[in-house]
Amino acid sequence: MKSPVSSVTRPDRYRDQVGFDKNYGFMKEFRIFTLLLIVTILGYSSCKTTKEETEDQYGKIRIHFEHRVDNQSLVTDQMIYENAAGNKYLVNEIQYFISDVTLYKNGNTHLLDAWDDIHYVDTDIESTRTFAIRDEIPLGHYDKISFTFGINEVKNQSLMFVNPPESLMFWPELLGGGYHYMKLNGKWLDTLDQISPFNFHLGIGQIYYSFPDSISSYVQNYFEVELVDSGFELQIGETLDVTMVMNVENWFKSPHIYDHNEWGGDIMQKQDAMRLGCENGWNVFTIEK
Amino acid sequence: MERNCLNKNGCHFYGAAFVAAFLLVLISCSKSDPESPYKPAPYLIEIPFGFPTNLNIPSDNPMTVEGVELGRYLFYDGRLSGRTHPDSLMSCASCHRQERSFEAGIDHPDFEDGHPHGLSGQKTHHVMLPLVNLVWNHNGYGWNGFLYPGNPNDKLQNIEDFVRLAVVAKDEIDGDTSRVVNLLQSIPGYPELFRKAFGSENITFNNIERAIAQFIRTLISANSKFDKYMQGKVQLSQSELNGYVLFTTEEGADCFHCHGGFGNPLFTTNLFYNNGKDTVYTDPMDRYMVTKDPMDRGAFKATTLRNIEVQGPFMHDGRFKTIEEVIVFYSHHLKWSPEVDPLMHHVNKGGVQLLPFEKEDLLNFIRTLRDDEFLSNPAFGKPDKFPDEQ
Repeated sequence: MKSPVSSVTRPDRYRDQVGFDKNYGFMKEFRIFTLLLIVTILGYSSCKTTKEETEDQYGKIRIHFEHRVDNQSLVTDQMIYENAAGNKYLVNEIQYFISDVTLYKNGNTHLLDAWDDIHYVDTDIESTRTFAIRDEIPLGHYDKISFTFGINEVKNQSLMFVNPPESLMFWPELLGGGYHYMKLNGKWLDTLDQISPFNFHLGIGQIYYSFPDSISSYVQNYFEVELVDSGFELQIGETLDVTMVMNVENWFKSPHIYDHNEWGGDIMQKQDAMRLGCENGWNVFTIEK
Repeated sequence: MERNCLNKNGCHFYGAAFVAAFLLVLISCSKSDPESPYKPAPYLIEIPFGFPTNLNIPSDNPMTVEGVELGRYLFYDGRLSGRTHPDSLMSCASCHRQERSFEAGIDHPDFEDGHPHGLSGQKTHHVMLPLVNLVWNHNGYGWNGFLYPGNPNDKLQNIEDFVRLAVVAKDEIDGDTSRVVNLLQSIPGYPELFRKAFGSENITFNNIERAIAQFIRTLISANSKFDKYMQGKVQLSQSELNGYVLFTTEEGADCFHCHGGFGNPLFTTNLFYNNGKDTVYTDPMDRYMVTKDPMDRGAFKATTLRNIEVQGPFMHDGRFKTIEEVIVFYSHHLKWSPEVDPLMHHVNKGGVQLLPFEKEDLLNFIRTLRDDEFLSNPAFGKPDKFPDEQ
């Protein structure tokens, strides 16, 4: 970049070189200036056209999140659901992170929104239920969409979110730090016919030497979700709206039948329970276009 | 430079004319207000380690050094009641005591069991909440959050509105806004402070609200022993560490989901929970009053645990006098109801069942949240002199 000093001294040097009458010089410079202006305007118009053409080669994607139980929209705080283990249950709220949304095209991958690659979803906060991905995505056919449920160990660092609501997802340092992948809070009818709260919370697991005082290692429970039938065609200038559906009942269904009576109300320190939950997560999400 | 002028002399003439005009404008401006023009200095809030960066500062009330200074005078000046008789003075500080983290405290000399009452003698509906770190509260003020940014009722949105409510409420200052304005207008020194803060010596109640709210937003507590531990500056004792583990584990005391921790150093979510105190809900000013969601019956704000050691009584109705009683409640006396929050997952066992030594460890950890610097910071304390005493 030129310094301001050089831009001020340059005209003097120019005048010295040509050494002619000032007024004549002014008229000539005026013509040159006019010519330059025309060239600049033309150049700008040309650039603009090129840019518009370039923009047309891309599209955008916007993901909407929905939450359903047994193919019906989630109704919170009503004991109207029954899971695969036969537990009658209600859902109060669901909060979770997805990250590293990736598109697949001809065997190549395209990571979306690398600068904002972790998205928080909250059933109580409407604005979180849309993820408008900022990337301009090349046109064409894509084979599938995948994402990480939770946050991988490289990115899942404590204090990376300092503002609510994301910061309220923090996972205690002792238990591995970072953030909850998910809080699914609700209640179930237990074996004593009592309505008991459950906190189906997923995050970093712990392996204990002796429970609960001594931890020998941590388990990264995040997992990749490859969305079935998620191929799509992105058209010129299109913003593709896709709906990502969390089918809540599947957290408790397959391949493991998850029984609240077995695991109780809290599982953050029960890696076996979190493992079942995460392994059940493979078919929790479906996509609609 | 010459290339922009028809000739050198002409260029100099226009340049001189421009400079002269500029100087005239400057002189003209300063003549209208020869002493000191209205130019408040921005008050910058430094974000403490780990704290949120989003601040709740309304766009129509930016923080200024002058506004905060004025707010501090008003916060402590008993003439905020609009009265001058010594028996009728009352200010925010009459109840919000610095040494009690800006709540009344169980030992307030004028209140029985720490339950405040106003000048009229009428008790407040609930006991007090502390004024600490409110600049990070976006989720509503008061035990039920009835005052919140974005409220369709634009008179019930923020701290500014709380100031007005406190001044006129029968169970608080029981004042009259016009009378307050007229009295302050007549006190030497205040009009000048208002001019410096808001550009006019004509005092309005709106500017009284704004100044006090600005001062309250400066009340930041972020230098407790635990803050220093977070930054690696000090180590906690073994008992405090044990308490920290209990605080942040579900199999322990499970406090962190509502009361924060390393990842949420506000030590509150500023959200509202039914924490299992009752089975029948008769308090008309619970969270249900605001949301009309039946599941919010009996729900109240999770208070910050910062400086909780010097506060009390506890819970919205002040039913517990000491923190020890609160720990016993969460340990053994939770009550189930359909409205109890799902985070109270120990409710059917009556609580988290802490053993006596665990209760002591937990208490020792909670004590690490006391911030002595905050509790004695002169910048937050009563001014040595009020404006008319200078």
